[in-house]
Amino acid sequence: MQVNQVHNSTPQFSVLSQDEREMIFRGALEVMERVGGRFYHQEAIELFKDSDAQVVDESLVKIPSWLTLQALKEAPGKITLCSRDGERNVHLGGNQVNFGTGSDCPFIYDRETGERRRYTRNDVYEAARIVDYLPHIDFFMSHGLADDVPHDETYDRHQFFSMVKGTKKPLVVTAVDGEGLQDLYQMELLLTGSEDEFRLNPRFAVYIEPSSPLAHSQECLEKILFCAEKSIPVIYTPCPSAGATAPASLAGMLIQTLAESLQGLVLSYLKKPGMPFIMGGVVTIMDMKTSNYCYGAPEMSLSSAALTDVSKYLNLPMFSTAGCTDARVVDEQAALEAQISIETAFLSGASLVHDIGYLDSGLNGSLEMLVLCDEIIGMVKHLGKGITVNEEHLAADLIDQVGPGGNFLTSKHTHRHYQDEFYFPTLLDRHNIETWASRGKKTIIDHVDEKLEKILGSHDPEPLPEGVEEKMKEIIEKADARAEEAKSKK
Amino acid sequence: MSLKRLANAMIEGDVEKGKEVAQDLLEEGTTPKEILDDGVLAGMEVVGERFKNFEMYIPEVLGSAQVMHEVMDILRPKLVSSEGETSKGTVVLGTVEGDMHDIGKNLVALMLEGAGFKVVDIGIDQPAQSFVDAVKKENPEVVGMSALLTTTAPKIFEVIEALKDAGLRDSVKTMAGGAVIDQAFCDENGVDAYGPSATAAMEIAQNFVAEVKR
Repeated sequence: MQVNQVHNSTPQFSVLSQDEREMIFRGALEVMERVGGRFYHQEAIELFKDSDAQVVDESLVKIPSWLTLQALKEAPGKITLCSRDGERNVHLGGNQVNFGTGSDCPFIYDRETGERRRYTRNDVYEAARIVDYLPHIDFFMSHGLADDVPHDETYDRHQFFSMVKGTKKPLVVTAVDGEGLQDLYQMELLLTGSEDEFRLNPRFAVYIEPSSPLAHSQECLEKILFCAEKSIPVIYTPCPSAGATAPASLAGMLIQTLAESLQGLVLSYLKKPGMPFIMGGVVTIMDMKTSNYCYGAPEMSLSSAALTDVSKYLNLPMFSTAGCTDARVVDEQAALEAQISIETAFLSGASLVHDIGYLDSGLNGSLEMLVLCDEIIGMVKHLGKGITVNEEHLAADLIDQVGPGGNFLTSKHTHRHYQDEFYFPTLLDRHNIETWASRGKKTIIDHVDEKLEKILGSHDPEPLPEGVEEKMKEIIEKADARAEEAKSKK
Repeated sequence: MSLKRLANAMIEGDVEKGKEVAQDLLEEGTTPKEILDDGVLAGMEVVGERFKNFEMYIPEVLGSAQVMHEVMDILRPKLVSSEGETSKGTVVLGTVEGDMHDIGKNLVALMLEGAGFKVVDIGIDQPAQSFVDAVKKENPEVVGMSALLTTTAPKIFEVIEALKDAGLRDSVKTMAGGAVIDQAFCDENGVDAYGPSATAAMEIAQNFVAEVKR
């Protein structure tokens, strides 16, 4: 018998020490008190006026640290997102990692012609269907931005319809504005049943993005306030680029980003204390040669992991980024950038890791990239299993039994353990060169294509319950009619 | 020789040196026009070329622009009115309504100024009417519109329509740029050209002006 043993059941990884996490947090509090933020929404300003925050002019608000601490104290560190069937399978907080797509890419490569063209509602449905199938992708965002809609102002309803039809997995949604979000919520209630039910078993979280540096648009604030009212989980995630819309020093970008996110938290708290809130930040750099907003930079992975460390210090779930690339096609650059970010985000323990499958710096919602990333996530998750170290697994008895010059293939121990201890890839080619050549010398891109064809040809998502589709369409038609009316008035 | 030193100060982004050399040149009797053409614009041409070839980073280019602006402040009062007409043409630039993004637009402005254009930057979040007003006031050869968001890109079409309604569409060439814009979008929305980068936008403007003058 041994005593005083400590086992790592998983690998251990962090970027910031406890002291550094505190410094980042204190930096954010300083920004919130000294610089403040601009809030372009009347009710938001009224809520701040009624609090101990200082409303400096018609939009500038400075928030005292104690109010931020109060809001943090009330925020739940645990949120669970549910599938269409109410399965509680996406747990946020406590180092649980969940992977999912991003949203609203304008372009896709056409599967037939290979041409770069605008996204359609059907493309969003296809992306949903693929995510519904892929084992390592836990939640779905729209991936693409449906362009074939009657009005730009109502695209979110059409897109959401394609999403809920295509997959049962939990969702993260985007909405045009507060009114759009209300419609999405009504559409979802047709599936969830009631507001009470949604509060306990939310199907989706809402992605909301303030504008760095330190500005919160009217649409953002409408959405936060509606979410607080209904207890819908909010993801408040700025997208700064170091050197352009935030300091070039990564720590400086982090305090600004955290301040922006926490400004949203305080508003949510003032509307209704303790509502589910997920902090975030697509924290990356502007490429100083091309002005590209980088989706494949190591700085993005490093900063995201650091911000995730801070999220644990604050006991808030974290929305992070990975599986995306600046490569314009699915090539070696795409694969290596995706691998670095997926591995780093996973090891950092972020709650929701989004943008899996983004190509072309977030402009192309690639179906091929999704399939490729699913395999990378599978491999990376295997790293997370760590190594079991005990007598059975150390296997000294077995090594003694087999002895020098023997082999382990036929031993019962091998049969007992290889399936648990090994990872079984679906895309990686491990045939010897003769077999590989005789099977057509396929590269991983060929394997991705084949798997994608197979999924599209065979995986049908479970249909929506009877009658739901019609009722959803009614909501969409009403929204379109309102948009039409507004247009004719103009 | 000193003109070369001024050009070098531009390339190095050395504001103090740039101002000092420009003052020296004026005292030595070099004409403001020569300083502008063979110092400032010659320096910016090198900067533009290096930026285009990815040999210079954006913060350095912005440093060069800073030198240009400070030297121009010295030269402007001394340029006699006829010499003031050195502009290669006028470009009205703006980010469309609902869109707060200005980095891309500012880079385009910088490249155009460096190439000798007069740039009228009307700013971010500008409704179609502001573009129309600026065109009426400035009589530019080119109008450039910027949009980063998929939700604001359609506003570019509104600008084009507003220019038509005001009877100004044929008096200007139009170009558009921003992350979500592409050639197909420009074709569909009646925009004359798509500028995928700041240098491309500058070259488009040069070609437009050359066409107008022909």
